[in-house]
Parts: sequence; structure tokens; C-alpha cells
Amino acid sequence: MIGLFARLILRPLRAEPVRTLLTVLSVALGIAVVLAIELASDAATGSFRSSLETVAGEADYEVTAVGGLDERLYAKLATLPLAVNVRPRMEDHALLVESKQTLPLIGLDLVAHALDARFETTSFEPGLILASATGRKVGEQVTLRVNDHDHLLTVRAIVASDTAFALVDIGVAQELLKRPGKIDRLLIDAPESFESRLKEALPAGATLAPFGARTEENRKMLAGFRSNLVILSYIALVVGAFLIYNTISVSVVRRRAEIGILRAIGMTSTTVLAMFLAEALLFGLAGIAIGVPLGRLMAEAAVGAIGATVQNLYVSSQPGVIALSFLATLKAVIAGLTVTLAAAWAPAREAAAVAPVEAMARGRKDYEVGQQQYRHLAIAAACALAAFGASFAPPIGRRPLFGYLAAALLVLAASLATPAFVHFVTRATRDLLRKLLGVEGLLASQSLDAALRRTAVLIAALITAVAMLVSVGIMVGSFRETVIQWIDSQLRADIFLQPAVPAGGDRFPTLSPDIAGRVAALPMVAMVDQFRAYPIHFRGLPVTLGSGDANVVKRRGAFHLLEGDPDEAYPQMLTSDAAIVSEPFVNKHGVHMGDTIQLPLGDQVRPIRVVGVYTDYSNERGYIIMHRERLLRYLPDPAPSNLAIYLKPGTQVIAAQRAIEAALSDARVLVLPNQTLRREAILIFDRTFAITYALELVAVFVAVTGVAGALLALVIDRRRELSLLRFLGAARTQIRKLILCEAGLIGLLSVAGGMLLGGILSLVLVYVINKQSFGWSIQFHAPIAILLGALTIIFTATLLAGLYPARVALALNPIEVIHEE
Amino acid sequence: MPVLEFIDVRRNYPGTAAVDGVSLSVPAGQLLALVGRSGCGKSTLLNLAGAMDFPTSGTVQIDGQATRGLNDAALTKLRREKIGFIFQSFQLLPNLTAAENVELPLLLSGQPRARAQALDRLARVELAGLGHRYPHQLSGGQMQRVAIARALVHRPSLLLADEPIGNLDSATGTTILALLRRIVDEEKATIVMATHSAESTAVADRVIEMRDGRILSAA
Repeated sequence: MIGLFARLILRPLRAEPVRTLLTVLSVALGIAVVLAIELASDAATGSFRSSLETVAGEADYEVTAVGGLDERLYAKLATLPLAVNVRPRMEDHALLVESKQTLPLIGLDLVAHALDARFETTSFEPGLILASATGRKVGEQVTLRVNDHDHLLTVRAIVASDTAFALVDIGVAQELLKRPGKIDRLLIDAPESFESRLKEALPAGATLAPFGARTEENRKMLAGFRSNLVILSYIALVVGAFLIYNTISVSVVRRRAEIGILRAIGMTSTTVLAMFLAEALLFGLAGIAIGVPLGRLMAEAAVGAIGATVQNLYVSSQPGVIALSFLATLKAVIAGLTVTLAAAWAPAREAAAVAPVEAMARGRKDYEVGQQQYRHLAIAAACALAAFGASFAPPIGRRPLFGYLAAALLVLAASLATPAFVHFVTRATRDLLRKLLGVEGLLASQSLDAALRRTAVLIAALITAVAMLVSVGIMVGSFRETVIQWIDSQLRADIFLQPAVPAGGDRFPTLSPDIAGRVAALPMVAMVDQFRAYPIHFRGLPVTLGSGDANVVKRRGAFHLLEGDPDEAYPQMLTSDAAIVSEPFVNKHGVHMGDTIQLPLGDQVRPIRVVGVYTDYSNERGYIIMHRERLLRYLPDPAPSNLAIYLKPGTQVIAAQRAIEAALSDARVLVLPNQTLRREAILIFDRTFAITYALELVAVFVAVTGVAGALLALVIDRRRELSLLRFLGAARTQIRKLILCEAGLIGLLSVAGGMLLGGILSLVLVYVINKQSFGWSIQFHAPIAILLGALTIIFTATLLAGLYPARVALALNPIEVIHEE
Repeated sequence: MPVLEFIDVRRNYPGTAAVDGVSLSVPAGQLLALVGRSGCGKSTLLNLAGAMDFPTSGTVQIDGQATRGLNDAALTKLRREKIGFIFQSFQLLPNLTAAENVELPLLLSGQPRARAQALDRLARVELAGLGHRYPHQLSGGQMQRVAIARALVHRPSLLLADEPIGNLDSATGTTILALLRRIVDEEKATIVMATHSAESTAVADRVIEMRDGRILSAA
């Protein structure tokens, strides 16, 4: 059996090293991308529980409250007649100015940790403890920017950790964060039986949750983002599957007579099946051998981009170290082998079904694709219909599973319809091609039509890759256009002011409370709106609670209400506990206009009525917005997160910016004109989707690689025809032109089919998958210029993919080839 | 001037001389049969005559033009204008109809009215009305007629036929030989035919026997 495999499978593969290499490369790239995304998303989204926990210790429970806990609660819980251990903690972020590193700032009761061996020093006089990842040394002085103030601190200790953080004593943290008397979290070691007793001791607004529950909530929130990324990463592997299918099909077509002979002399059909599956397995294993290390490398490149998106849109999390875990590798290996074997199954079964009598058949028998076209078209129509139905089904557990199914069915339908599409187009354009491209165009068109079995699979692979590029391009383009329009309507103020430390999806550094008054006092300033945001949890998911001046909002129209009347909503916000909520919040939590939601605010839980739903694309967590004065009643911290500054008519923005900067020279703040903020927002958007484009490009690269490999196979199989043309007077340039015409036709058909399928897929992405995953309404917009540019590049790449096969065709010796026959 | 002339031609391959000092002159309007066992050099001689291969030494001239030293463009032009090939296994392109196969040399050389000429040629080989058929819809004899029509469609000075009836039954072979004879007689074509069969030699004007790359005898 091994001898047979070596002779019948390995030998032909060795004879065509370039084609074999291209197939292995395409599988390897598919596996590498899957693994890279798995590892990078693990590293970027899995580090909420930073290595700080290993230093600061874990607990059984944690107590939190919106706006922080009163520190007296610490004493109350610690003195309960229960055998519990209570530890306070402050949590925020700070900027290490010298290295421009943003890192978690943690306040702990350091006395309790003083004897911990993990610290490089046991001296805990007031000062700063840094993780070794910051690269600082004991005794150094560093500037720590907390909110809008810089603080010069001496590093007292270094803790070994591969993620950066800063530790201070809890009292120092309260001082740095200007939250005197407040604690962000209480960690409690207590048996489960104490839970109800502990709850009784808490104020109504405080939440007692098992330790790590927030981490789980974060993971839950990121599930949609992650699964979309993972699915995108599988596109390259699916395209690779088409190419495996094509390679094994070519093997079977070429060796049909050979298989017939083997069957005639006693080989069983099972052995034939096993041999061709083994060929696929070989490609899979070789792909894994290259793909796994390649994936590990690619993960390094991807983790930064994924981490930035997570920070911008969701939650603060420092990307952890990429670890080539056994589980992630196993998943990639299983995915690679499954896809490879599944792709090879159909052609291998056809090989097994070859009758011994075919050994006697004259020449090589191509498949009767033509006869199957109508059946395949019927199945394709059924798939398309099923996809249409699936696109109307609701999500399952906030996951657009039916949306994915609809997309998969559409790809399947397109693949099944591809032979008929190629046949129809090549037939219909035969005369036109002859007129435009001469005899080479005619021959190329006929050759594609005649070898439908191979060309159709190849074109289907490229159509899939192009369609994914087009559909994701349209989805991102639509999203971008919608966001730009939203930014234009949302950013009404002339200047925005915020602390000069990075903010994030759950990170809202605050300004000193006096700053708003100082800005408002400037002569060119007409109005200042103070916005405050709190990261809170609502029904088990992270949400942002915000407050602004409803009067300003009403006057300036900063929010576009999808539901609710601005004339009713804003007055209600001024006079009652009412809020407007963002569209993602509504879609995520099933809350409707007019509903009353229970919000824990400070030490109490308040019923808040939803009086409006507005469009928002700033983050996916969802917003609840209240009037500032109403929220201050429950959360009395007056520090705003940022200011929206409206200038008096006729004031020059740049001059006003300079004046504000001069007035606030003692504070570390960013004064951003409207246009700058707009530009930055679009930049963040583009960075967020950079990884998406990268994944698409890998899929297209795999497909174009496949074109080169398959064209090479076509050239080798048609060497008799190409040699004959030389006998009949074809010039070498004509042979080259013929191959390039074929490559060009494959490119054109793929781009045309890909645009069609991509257009339909984009509807599923925009209106089903995006809506169900993220809750955003996006206006459809096709970025025509970008798409045309991308498609031109793909077409050119396909054409270039024909150069090497053309060279091989020119190197054929016509005499040898003709006399072989 | 002879249509084809070999002057002391040698064609060496590693370890062997496929053609060894052959001198031969073929005048216009002659049907020449090359006979000999497999490997005697017949096919190599045809390839040299068709400017598909080149002598190691000596000269091959077609219509007075030496083939050696011509660049690819000139060789292509020579083949397009002066040479037609007929093969033992027909060598038709399976995805082209009979008419499309026949017009192919004209299309490759960019000639106008290719289809009309192809249909005319098909009629001359008694295949009028079958131009739309694909090769698999034709019999062996019909396929070889199509191949002959294709070889003649651009009116070459020299027709090279490698075992033209080797794949046909004897009755069909006889018909094809009669057709080749008729072409020589009526159109004053020059044919050099490599063959094993005695029947082929019977229709030839001249028979040359080869052995080990050399001309053994000429009749």
C-alpha cells in the first residue's frame, strides 16, 4: 500500500514541484490565519484578569457600586461577626509619561502585602510599585499622569510581571484619583454560606458577585466580536479547500485510465478512495507543518490590531503574551485536516467509482459537468432560497447563526452555479473574444469551457475570495460612511476638552471639576456641556452610563433620536429620572422606548424611564444617558469626563483653542478642535478594520496562488494541444498570449461573479450579521472607487499568475510532446 | 528549385545519431515515402523538414531557405506559409469543431476569410456539411481527412505526414492514401510521408528506405 501510494501519488506530485508547493502553501496560509486569529484574540481579549491578580491575590467575592463604594463599608464588612477577609481596592488607569505607556493603576492595602516574597523589596514606605514590564528600576523617579494631573513618584519596588501595571497604597490611590473616601472594589474571602449575610450588610446600590464574574461578562461581551473575527479567519481556509478539491480532481482526471487499469488488476475501490484521501492528507499535514509556525508569527502582527480594537470599542485589556497553546494548535490542526479531507472527499469517491472498463477507454475522460449543470443549478437555487429565508431568522443567544448560515448557503449556491455561469459566459462571448483578442481569445474561451470541471472549481474559489472582499468592503464602507455622517451630526461643539490620558471603551478619565467653570469664563466661550461617563453593568453585561446637559443637547441637537420626540424626551430628562439610550443598548438588552429600567446608582437602585433611543457608533457596549443634574443627585462626583465647548459666533477655533490651552496650562488636558477629533475618530475606525482587510487579502492571495497552480496543471495537461499549435504555425508570443488570455478570463469571470455574490453577501452582512452581532443600523453604501481599485489589483494579480504557466508552456518541446502520444 | 533539400544532414542526440549524413532533394509535386523500422530516423527527418528540429551539421532548405539560423519569428513564418503537418493520431483539438480545427492555421497567421477557406478545404476532402461536428462525432477516417484539410488550408509548399494511416483500418487507410495521391496530382502539392506500410509506398512517386539514420536505398 505504501509502495503503491509512493508510485501513484507521490511520484506525480514530485514531478510537479511548483504546483505541489503552491497547493501546500495555500493550505498552510489558511491554517496559519486561523491559528493566528485564535492566538491573537486569546492574547488580546483574554487578559482582563491581568497578572496583577497573581500578585494581589484572588478572592471569593467582589463588591462594587456605580460611582464607587463608601470606604466606611470596608470597616463595616471587616467587623461583621463573620470569619471573612475583606480587602479594598482602587482601580483606574494612568499614563507613565516617560515611556507613554498606559497602564492599570491599582490601589491596594499594601501593608497586607508587605511580606510578599514576589516583591523585590519589602520596604513599603509610600511610593510606587511597578511591574517589571514597564522597564523601570527601583529608586527611579517617574511621572505618572492620572486624569489631568502629573505626579512625580519614586519607584519603591518592582514586581515581576509580563504585563505592565502600577501599584500604590490605597490611600495614595484615593489621593491621585481625587476620590477621597471612595473605594472601587472590596474583595472578600468568604464561604458561600455567608453570601446572604454579606448581601444584607450592603447598601441597595452595591453588587456582590463571585470574583471573576466581571471577567466572564467581558468575555460574553466580546463573544460576538471574536466569533466574527474567527469566521473571517476561516475564509482563507475555505478558499484553500476549493484548491485542494481542484488539485485532487486534477489528480483523478489525469489518472482515470491508470485507476481503471489498477481496478482491472485487482485494486479495490476502498484502496483507491484511501489513496486519494491520503494525497489530501499529505497536503493537509504539509500545510500544518508550515502553517502552525507561520500562524504563530502572524499572531504577533495581529495582536496589536485586535488589542487596539478591543480597547477602543469594548474594554481595557492589555494584550497578553502570545502562547502557542496545545488547544489552539489542536483546533487549527483539526480545522485544517477536516477541511482538507472534506474537500477531497468528492473527487476521491469519484476515483473509487472508476470502473475497470475505463482502462480500455480511448484517451482521458473528462467529467460530464455539462450534464450535471441543471441539477447543480436547481440545488443552487434551493440554497439561495434557503439563504433568503435564513436571513430573516432571529439571532440565537445574540449570535447571528442564521446570518452565517445564509452567507454559507449563498457561497455554496454560487459555487454550484459557477460551471453554468462559466459555460454560459464563455459561449456567449466566444465571438466577441475572438474579435477583441484574436484566435488566442477564442482558444482560451473554448479551453475554459472544455475543462469546466477544473476551471469552474478554480473560478468558484476566486469568486468566493473576491465576494468576501467585496461584501466586507461594502459592509465596512457602509459602516464608515454611516459613522462619518454620525460624527458630523454628533460632534456639534467647536472644541472638545479631555484629560491627556488615553480613554477607552470602559475607561473614562476625568477632568478636575473646576475646569468647566474656568473654560466657561473665557470671553469667546458661549456654552460648555460637561459629559460624564461611568462603566457600569446592566443585566450581566458592561454598559456605559453617561450624563450631559439635556438643555444643551436639546438646543444643539447633538443626538439623533431613532425613537422618541426630542421635544418630549429632553424636558422629561430635566425633570425626572428619565434617560435616552443608544441603539446597541436597545438591541442588546431588549429594552424598548417607554420601558423602566432599574439602575444601581451609588448606594441605591433607581427606576429610570427610557424616553428616547438614539444612534450611536462610539462603542458597542451601549449607552444610557441621563441629565447631568439628575445623575449628580445619585452620583455626586462633579468631575466630568470631557467637555463640549461651543464658541460665540465669529470666534476663530484655533485662537480659542490657544486661549483655552493657555488658561489651563496647569492641567494635563487635550484641547481638540472639532475637525481634529473627527479625523481621529475616523483614524480609529480605519485602524479597527485594518485586520479585517488583512484577512481578506490573505484569502485573495490564497485564491490567486491557486490560479497559478491550476493554470500550471492546465498547461501540463494541455501540452499536446499547445505543442500542436506550434506545429500549426503558432508563434511563441501567441502561446503566451493564449495562457494569459485564460488567466485573464479566469480573473474576469471571478471578479464578475465575485462582485455579484459579494453584493448579495454584503446585504446579509450589513442588515443581518452586523445588526444581530453589534446592534448597529448601517446605511448601505458601496465604496465604488476602493472596490474597483481592489478588483483591478485582483484581476492584474490573476493575469500575472498566468506568467509562470505561460513560461512552462513555452518551454515545452513540441516534438517530444507530440511523439509521446 | 527543390521544395525540400537535405545536404549532408546529421542530427545527433546524446549517444546516438538519429540522422547520419543524409542528402536528399524533393522536387515540387512529388509524393515521397520514407520507409524503415521504428527508430530508423524517419520522424527526425520529418521534424527537420518541418523546421521543428535543426541539424547538428549540414543544411536543410525549404524552398531554398536554410532552416538553421532563423529566429523564432522567421521559423514561425516559415511553418505558417510553407509547411503542413499530418499526424498518425490526427491531433485534432477536441473542443473545436472540424471547421474550427481547419481554420486554425489561418487564424494563427491572422488571415481573413478563414472560415470560408476552411469550409472549402473540408469540401475538397469530401467532408462538406460536417464542419460543425466535433472530433468525437467523427470516424477515424473523417478525423484524418479533417487533419489533411487543416494541413492544406494555408496552401503550403510541403506537406509532412507521419504515419498518416497508422491508426486507421485498411479500407479507410486506402481512401486516405488515394486522397493524398489526388492532392499531389491535382494541386501539385509536395508530400513527404513517413510510413511502415507497403500500401503507402504503392501510391508514392519515390520511396526511400532508411536504416540507422541513413538512406539505405532509393527507388
